[in-house]
Amino acid sequence: MHDGVAAYVLGVLDDSEHEAFERHLEVCEQCQAELVELAEVPDRLDELKQAPSASEDDPPMSMSR
Amino acid sequence: MCPVLSHLDGRFESADAEAEHRIAVLYQEFGGPLLRHVRKSTGNDLQWAEDVVQETLVRAWRNSARLQWEPGLLWAWLLTVARRIVIDGRRRKSVRPHEVEPPEVDMMAVPDGSERALSAIVVADALRSLSDEHREVIEQTYLRDRTISEAAAILGIPPGTVKSRLYYGIRALRELLRDKGVAG
Ligand SMILES: [Zn+2]
Repeated sequence: MHDGVAAYVLGVLDDSEHEAFERHLEVCEQCQAELVELAEVPDRLDELKQAPSASEDDPPMSMSR
Repeated sequence: MCPVLSHLDGRFESADAEAEHRIAVLYQEFGGPLLRHVRKSTGNDLQWAEDVVQETLVRAWRNSARLQWEPGLLWAWLLTVARRIVIDGRRRKSVRPHEVEPPEVDMMAVPDGSERALSAIVVADALRSLSDEHREVIEQTYLRDRTISEAAAILGIPPGTVKSRLYYGIRALRELLRDKGVAG
């Protein structure tokens, strides 16, 4: 259950798991502490999402291969 | 003591009066900072950002247990709730067919010359130095507005694996960003 904290912070848990994690968070001090630590990581990732593309035709940076 | 609760010391004649006061205090304490924060993720759509802030604070107000959290934890929770509301809104607004891939996140197309762009470069570098497995789940979930189960189907791995890799990947990313001085 504890490892759901990252997905929770990112807002990518599916609905039922999201609700289950919210209940877990109420009673788990470990996850509360990690929530505080990780809370702003998504904002850093948003900087990538919002960086304007130079050109739509540029080949995408190979990230995974 | 939590600033929200320090205002609530039994001076109310009715539950309604207390509830009304409580939400006013929430707005006073968190409304401004939260609005500034949310605006960044609504593309400066002020009306949408205000709606998100209102819904976030109403959720907090309904949950008296959370209002007893220390302010740092309450703030982290509010940010997370607001982010989820923005993501849900974006999903509802999205009319693109499911099978169409959103554009790749282009890590190189970052103009230089501003603090924000510099920071984006640092984040892109950090993401690149993660293991492939960790980077992949971050890309396939958050960066594409997908849930765990959607990403799991695309990657052909169990949802629990996506969740667990996200955990270690995000922790590793946070460590890297902290070392580079851009972590929050
Ligand atoms: Zn936990």
